[in-house]
This record gives sequence, C-alpha cells and structure tokens, in this order.
Amino acid sequence: MTRDAALAGLPLTLRRTWEKDAQPPRLVSIFGRSVGRETEVHYLFDRGAADYEETTVVVGGEIGSLVPLAPAASWQEREIHDRFGLIFAGHPDPRPLLRPWQPAPPVSAPNGTRRWPPDAAAGIGAEFIPVTGNGVTEVAVGPVHAGIIEPGHFRFSTMGDRVIFLELRHFYTHKGTEDLLAGMDAAGATPIAESVSGDNCLAHAVAYCQALERIAGVEPPPRAQALRGVGMELERLANHIGDFGALCGDVGFAPMPALASRLKEDLLLASLAFCGTRYWRGIAVPGGVTMDPGEQARAALARAVAAAGREFAELGGRALRNPSVQARFDGAGVLTPQAARDFAAVGPVARASGAPLDLRRDRPYGAYRRRSVAAARLAAGDVMARAQIRMLEAAAAVEFLRATLADWPPGNVRDRFPAGAEGRGWAAVESPRGELVYWLLLQQGRIVRCHIRSPSFQNWPALPPAVIGGIIADFPMINKSFNLSYSGCDR
Amino acid sequence: MMGDLLLRTLRSPSRLVPLDALRCTNAGGSRMPQVLGGRLNADLADRLAAICPTEAMRRGSDSGGRWFELDYGECIGCGRCAAAAPEAVLPAVHLEACGVRREALVHRWSVDTGKEIPPQTAEPPRLDRWLGRAVNIRQLDAGSCNGCEAEIAALTNPYYDLERWGAHFVASPKHADLLLVTGPVTRNMAEAVRQTYAALPAPKLVVAVGACGCSGGVFDASPAVAGGVDQVIPVDAYIPGCPPTPAMLLTGLAAVLQRRLGRRGAGRVSAEAVKARSATAGAGSVASRANPQSS
Repeated sequence: MTRDAALAGLPLTLRRTWEKDAQPPRLVSIFGRSVGRETEVHYLFDRGAADYEETTVVVGGEIGSLVPLAPAASWQEREIHDRFGLIFAGHPDPRPLLRPWQPAPPVSAPNGTRRWPPDAAAGIGAEFIPVTGNGVTEVAVGPVHAGIIEPGHFRFSTMGDRVIFLELRHFYTHKGTEDLLAGMDAAGATPIAESVSGDNCLAHAVAYCQALERIAGVEPPPRAQALRGVGMELERLANHIGDFGALCGDVGFAPMPALASRLKEDLLLASLAFCGTRYWRGIAVPGGVTMDPGEQARAALARAVAAAGREFAELGGRALRNPSVQARFDGAGVLTPQAARDFAAVGPVARASGAPLDLRRDRPYGAYRRRSVAAARLAAGDVMARAQIRMLEAAAAVEFLRATLADWPPGNVRDRFPAGAEGRGWAAVESPRGELVYWLLLQQGRIVRCHIRSPSFQNWPALPPAVIGGIIADFPMINKSFNLSYSGCDR
Repeated sequence: MMGDLLLRTLRSPSRLVPLDALRCTNAGGSRMPQVLGGRLNADLADRLAAICPTEAMRRGSDSGGRWFELDYGECIGCGRCAAAAPEAVLPAVHLEACGVRREALVHRWSVDTGKEIPPQTAEPPRLDRWLGRAVNIRQLDAGSCNGCEAEIAALTNPYYDLERWGAHFVASPKHADLLLVTGPVTRNMAEAVRQTYAALPAPKLVVAVGACGCSGGVFDASPAVAGGVDQVIPVDAYIPGCPPTPAMLLTGLAAVLQRRLGRRGAGRVSAEAVKARSATAGAGSVASRANPQSS
C-alpha cells in the first residue's frame, strides 16, 4: 500500500495529526474502549512536547490501519481487533493476536462487532507465516521453555545454522488484567498493577499511582517522591545486574552469573532491611508511600548500594574485556537505528540503538525533577551495546541513589488521596525495560478503563529483526540482551 | 582474567543463610500476616474481612459459634490488615504452612473464644522413598507475573544454594520428579500445563507456588484465567506468598521432600525458637543474619 493510499484510509483527525509535522511522531500506544455499539480508539503520540498528544476517534466496525505508515502499530491494532471487534482496513497481518489458539469469542468484544474474514490472512497462513524452499527447516520453541522462564512461542525458519525468519506467538500469560481492573475501586487496585510484571513491580505501581494522582490533582510529598525514586533505581540496578550476569551465562562465561546473582541478592536483602520487602510490593500507594525508613536504614542502604555498584562495575568491565565474551557479543543481534525507530522501540534496547529516549530526562517526574540521571546512549545496536548500556545505567543508578539518600527531603510520606476522583489521564515512567504507560479513565473513584502499555509489548516485535540473519545458537543470548517480560506484554 | 574472577569467588566468604534463620524466619519480608487469635472480636473480624482485597480473610458462623478465617493461599501480603489492626495482626516472621495440603493453608479461629480451630487436613504429601537424596525439579510458569520466577531463580544463588539438598532444576518435564508450578493457570496456558503434567514420569509430584498458584490470587476473577493450579492438574502441596521468599520456598520444598533443614531432630521448629528469633529480629531478619553490609 502506498503512503498516500494509507493516509487516505485514515480518519480525518488522525490524518491531520500524522501530517502535522514533516517528521512523523513516535507512536506511544493505540488502544480501544467500548462506547455502546461503537469503539473509541485512542492514539497516543510523542512529538517531544511535555505532554503526549492524544487523538481519539469513535468508529463502528471499520477503521483504516496505521501500520503502512507506522509498523509499530501492528500488534496494537491486532489487540484492539481481538478485544473490541474492530476491523483495521489495510492491515498487512490480519490475524488474531491475543488468543489465536482458541475458538472462543474475544475477551471483551461487545455485541455487533466485526471480525477479519477467515480468508483475510490467506497467503499469510492462519497460524504461522510459511517459509518454504529447499533446505528450510522450521524450529518450534515453547511455550514451555527449558529453564525458569515465562512461557511464549518462537517459530524459527532456518537454513542450516542461519535464521532466515522468526515469528513470535505470545500472550500465553494473558490474564485479562485490563478487563479485571475495570469496575474496581481505583485507590485500592495497586496490587493488580504490581502483578503485571513481577520483577518491575514498583515501576508498575508508581506509573499506576502517578496516573491516579494526575487525575485527582494530588502531588505526593517530596519525601515520598524520593522514596519512590530510590526504589525504582534499586529495581533498575538489581534488574540490570541480574540481566548482565544471565547474558554472560548464555555464552558460557560461568563466573559472572554466579557473581551477579550474589550481587542482586545483596541488593534484595538490602531492600528487605530498608523497607521490609524484597521487591517493594505494597510500598507505593496513591498519594505517597507506606513506609518511612530512618536515617540509619538509609545509611545502610547507601553502603550496600555503593558496595554492589563498585563490585559490579569492576566485574562487569572484566567480563566485557574477556575475548571469549567479546567474540560472542560483538556484532551479534544488531537492531539498526532504523528498525528501532520503525518499531518505536523503548528503553535500554532503543538507547543501545542510538535513540535518545529516556523519560527520566525527557519528561522528568517525581524524584527525577529534583535530580537528573545521566542518560546513556550507544549506537552499535548489538548485544555488546545492550550489555554496555546496562553497565552505564547501573553506574548512573548507583550515583542517583548515593546523592538522593544523602540529601533526604523532610516531611511526611503520604497525603490523603481523595475519594471519588473523576476524569482521564496518563502517566509514564522509565521502568528498567523502558517507557511504561498507564492510561486511566475514572468515574466516581472507580476504574472505567485502564490501558497498560508495557515496554515489553512495544519491544517484542523489534526482536525478530535483530535475530534474523544470525545463527540460531545466538538466539538465547540475543533474547536475553533484550530481556523482555512476557507477562508485562501479555497482561 | 577469568582465573581472577574464579579466585575471587573462591576467596569470598560464604554467603549461605544459616539454616536456623531459614527455618525460623522463613517468612521475614514476605508480608504475610500473623493473626493473634486472642485479640479477635466480632467487630475486628468484620473490619478485617472488609479490608482484605482477595477475601483471604473471612468470617462466618456455624454450630460451633462465630469463626474467623485466614487463607494463606489467597493472601497477597498487601499489609492492609496489619496497618488497620496492628494490635491483632503482625507481619509474620515464621510460616509453618509451606509445602502443605491446601486445607492446611486455612487457619480458623473462634471469634468467641479466640482459640484456633485446627484444620481438618489430610496427611501431608509423602514422597516415595526411592527418590533418595536427589530430586529433579521442573519449574513451570502457567501464567505468573514473573515474581515467583524471580524468587525461584534466587534459590540457585550463593545465599540459598538449593543444590546442597541434591535438588536440581531440569530442562524437561520428562527428567523431573517434581513440577513446581507458578501463576494462575491462564486459559491460554491450560493445555500446555496438562501436556507438561502428562510428560512428567511417576510419581508426578506437583507443588503449586504463590498466591496465584494456590488460588488464582488477584487474577482469580478474570475470565481469561482458569484459576489456581489445582483447577487444571492434581496438586500435592502448596507454598503460599506473593511472592514466597526463597526461605519459604526452601522450607516448603523441604517439607514436601521430608528433608530436615539442619541438625537431626531439628526438623520441626519449636515455638520457643521462633519466639526467640522474632524477638531479636524483625521483618528484615534474614537480611540481618546473612548480609554483613546491611547489619
């Protein structure tokens, strides 16, 4: 489909938004909401301004697809099709996304919805895009993987060792979280946000709380902001150290995963001593946080972070200077800056492919308004760059934690959160995996619609371009260098 | 260069969490509640039941009078009960109910007398003796949020070192004696869970992990979720928590495998030992025992 044809198919308001600038905006999210027999489709774009730009279109039945203009829209539109029964005309991949292996009706489609006709995907293959030819072998992996990992399916087409095509089939852990949240008392629903992605639970809780606070017009006290900031940077540090160790483990560099798992546990135990939980569950609540550690606890945490940070910087540097590690990491799994832009990749993955995208710097929130974080950026886009970016960000997190814990704001940690908040709003935080967006619509304090755009949902489609062309034996390492959450994606 | 790293590993002091800390303070940091039955009254029971987001706390009455119930299998440790009624609910430091039958996760008290009503539980799960001292564990994520996986993965770090007990994580259910299942079983994973169970050789021991694995947890009401693990395959034992701490996972597995953690005759934890430990430690007890930097 040509650009003009794709533009002509779009609703007028959306076309105007898209054409406003010479440079097309970055697609943040597309999501739907049932309004009677029609569907309200929301488009969130990032044009670099302080606020995201939201365009809303109400349609019944059919709407033009944005995919020919923005490939990143593909999964978003397929999800809306599955959940709300909306046809995206001109979508190049009209197959179900959320529950393709079940004949059951979609999770929340209202009556009178429309489906892509059964032959819409003709030529694509109902289940997997077929790759044929002499010597092509198909390798199916998952959903049950060979380790302590979440479930998902990967379908490789290989020619010898070389991967010539890869398709993902996820959403095995789809828990209907957004539907579950609808109707709930907003102030009490934080535990659900914490269970969207269990190793980034504080980032999810804070993003959820910030969206609520924005709607209610509440600004948590500075000390609460500092505590959230400390927790989120600790979460990033622990995740990056763990990922780095696992990445070295995937290329057989055995000492590093053992040392990294120890450093990660040091940090979890320091968290436990600091606030009584290892992963900061139950800490962030609308209006603030639920605990206020004293000076001694802060000093102890600062010591633990400094020790872990020092050791990780030294050990990680040594690992990356090791020739056997370099031979595997260098030049493997390249995500080009162009592919990163096309798929609107976020987080460390994008920053390792040249995209200067970090919400802590671009749209400072909470503690980052008081204290900035050194933003890392590399251009190579290979596994080595994604390993290095984690080391750089770990060092920046250590510095942020040192400075924040030393300069502790006075005051209380929790303000009363008003009952019966109404309105709509979004909040975005930089989780360890990247930009995490919560969009909320409230009525009398209850959730009408909650949309969760996790960084993993955005980044998973950017994985195949980095894998295709490499050898299949590199896949675990490349996948680990992205380290995306399945549950965060599937929700 | 690699030699340097290995030398450092060998020279660094042992990080192993002492066994009595594992046993006596296994729930430290889990945020699971401990109810002081003697402080219960009808008004408090009502309040607690109303505040609990997963209905893990319930009250009712039967011929024996009014009762109050806490189901650890549904508890996500949100801490609201302990915040609302600190006089009657404390953060638990030790949790016996790890690696037990489902009924044994439910604790019930008489609201009138404050006495605990013992659960009518079946015999604890028994592992065939022929498994001896080695057990192969296959971890299966049936739809979890990855929180339980993070803690299960922590079992292999130098603090907990699961392999001390001859337990290994294996890559295929066909190699496994025990299936460690996390998460609410999603509708999309139900068939994969059934097939994984079918591939497991006898005796097919299954342990459900976490609030979601035990009961569906916060996702139980979702139509995209089938429920707890036992809605799809038979389950022998349950380890509660959201997520369970590594120490809870270890004590739970030890209970299922009938291993003693520590000295002969120290298999069960005496009430005095827990009390002594709780008095000197707090929620961060495991940390203060194990981590020289945080003490």
